[in-house]
Amino acid sequence: MVSAMTRRLLRRGLVGTLLLLAGVMVFQFINPFIAESLGGPEGLESLVNQLPPAMQQLAQMSPDFLAMTGLAGYLSRGYDHPVYFILSISAMVGFAGRAIAGEIDSGTLALVLARPISRLKIYVSRLIALVVLSVGFGIAGPVATWLGLQVAQPVGEVEIDQLAAMAALGMLFVWSIGALALMVSAASSSMGRVVGWATGYLVIAYFVDVFAELWSILEPLRPLSLFDYFDTSTTMVDGRVPTESVVVLGGVGLVAVVVGWLVFRQRDLLV
Amino acid sequence: MSERDDAVLVIDGVTKRYGQIVALDSVSMMVPGGSIFGFLGPNGAGKTTLIRIIMGFMKATSGHATMLGHDVWADGVRARERVGYLVTADGLYPDLSGNDQLDYAARISGRAPEWRRRILDALELDEAALRRKLTTYSKGMRQKLALTAAAQHRPELLILDEPTDGLDPLIQRNFEVLLREFRADGTTVFMSSHDLGEVERTCDRVAVIRAGRLITAGWMEDLKRRYQQRVEVVFDEGVPAGLGEVPGVVILRSDDQSVLMSLEHDINPLLAFLARHRVARMEVRPPELQEVFLSFYERDTSGDSVEVPA
Repeated sequence: MVSAMTRRLLRRGLVGTLLLLAGVMVFQFINPFIAESLGGPEGLESLVNQLPPAMQQLAQMSPDFLAMTGLAGYLSRGYDHPVYFILSISAMVGFAGRAIAGEIDSGTLALVLARPISRLKIYVSRLIALVVLSVGFGIAGPVATWLGLQVAQPVGEVEIDQLAAMAALGMLFVWSIGALALMVSAASSSMGRVVGWATGYLVIAYFVDVFAELWSILEPLRPLSLFDYFDTSTTMVDGRVPTESVVVLGGVGLVAVVVGWLVFRQRDLLV
Repeated sequence: MSERDDAVLVIDGVTKRYGQIVALDSVSMMVPGGSIFGFLGPNGAGKTTLIRIIMGFMKATSGHATMLGHDVWADGVRARERVGYLVTADGLYPDLSGNDQLDYAARISGRAPEWRRRILDALELDEAALRRKLTTYSKGMRQKLALTAAAQHRPELLILDEPTDGLDPLIQRNFEVLLREFRADGTTVFMSSHDLGEVERTCDRVAVIRAGRLITAGWMEDLKRRYQQRVEVVFDEGVPAGLGEVPGVVILRSDDQSVLMSLEHDINPLLAFLARHRVARMEVRPPELQEVFLSFYERDTSGDSVEVPA
């Protein structure tokens, strides 16, 4: 029964999810081509050198950074890009919102609630689907980057374990966001409300993370932003996910899932 | 065996509050096995809230309910094992075909859809329609599909909230026949409906709820006998004085020799009064369910007319 519900969840909205996944892959696929067209790390370094310091800080890409990190450093910036965030976060928040609140909204949750299925199994089916999506979106970008590297052949080296580490970090990041959205979804009866809360938090968290580089008053708030733990450059360059990222992103996701369950198992479901 | 032992659904002092609002106020009733039980009430009376509690979608603030011997909240999975529930026509997956929808419902029920063909035939939902996605369905077609999904696995208890909403009259009649066949096969039906004619034709028991309180429950025929019978009497020597004072009598129309009255509850005081006079002709008509139903809603909600079933 759990697998039937999980498959049903994943199939619903499948076209949209696949389009977002394709968007992530296309975006990460073209990054090696851009690197190659700009002359590899050295060409990029001279290009970035011409930018004003504030722009360099905003882009988190200084000539020193490129000199130290090379092609891997440049490619890591593709995972800090707003386009990547919008595509992957839309998929996770959209799915989590649809999985419980959206099904209450549309009345389709009654179809499973009326069957001899416990709320735990219903919740677990959503959780499994969330894990599947997290793995999919975590892997998709690095796979596309690897394909791009094979085709574009830019100057510089990127090892497979660097991309594997990036995939692991990506999984943890989208998992934490998806789990937070699932928690809100478990407590809500409206898909719109889930999207609103999740988007509100993520937009604020993103701007805190980005503008803390320029505006020191935001620095104390930075640990509250999930984006602060999405350390793409360290992960990509060192080929390992920082422990802090594993603990915080993984932990936030787990806590959100547990809180979501505690709410969902007792609440009134107006279907 | 007591009536409680025979009941497939027992609701015992169920109250549901939303803050200060009391949606259900200590509702108690029993649905005997093998009956078709009509659950009536105006919009906002608490019908859907009670059904949600029975199905375990919501938790009662106090009181409890058991379905087929299992507590609907603490042991909800077992309670729902042999139950069919009608979801709203909009509560089906629009991206699935009719067949896929029914297959999915059967899979998560864990029981074979042995009544599927029989229901589809009765509701005249053909194979060509079942191959199409629900986005192409009319409301009536979605309702037929929802009814099939609810009952295809041969439930012992079938819970239906407004089952014929959107069905045309011919299909409604087919559905009523189907419900009687289900009952003959041992299925108990608990249904809420706004269509009083349908309830009158189909149900053998009925309960009425108003403003969250159960105001009556019992056999359909008993209810109709007990409430507002129409009595027309033609006297040989003119309408006698004092008729209007007989308990339960309300005179609706009167001329020199005949009188039309409505009579609530017990007919015996009227018969005792008439025995003292020469009656040429007398006709007693049981009320239609609509008259019974309306009589409840025309009363003062705080009045003494509230009855709790035995």
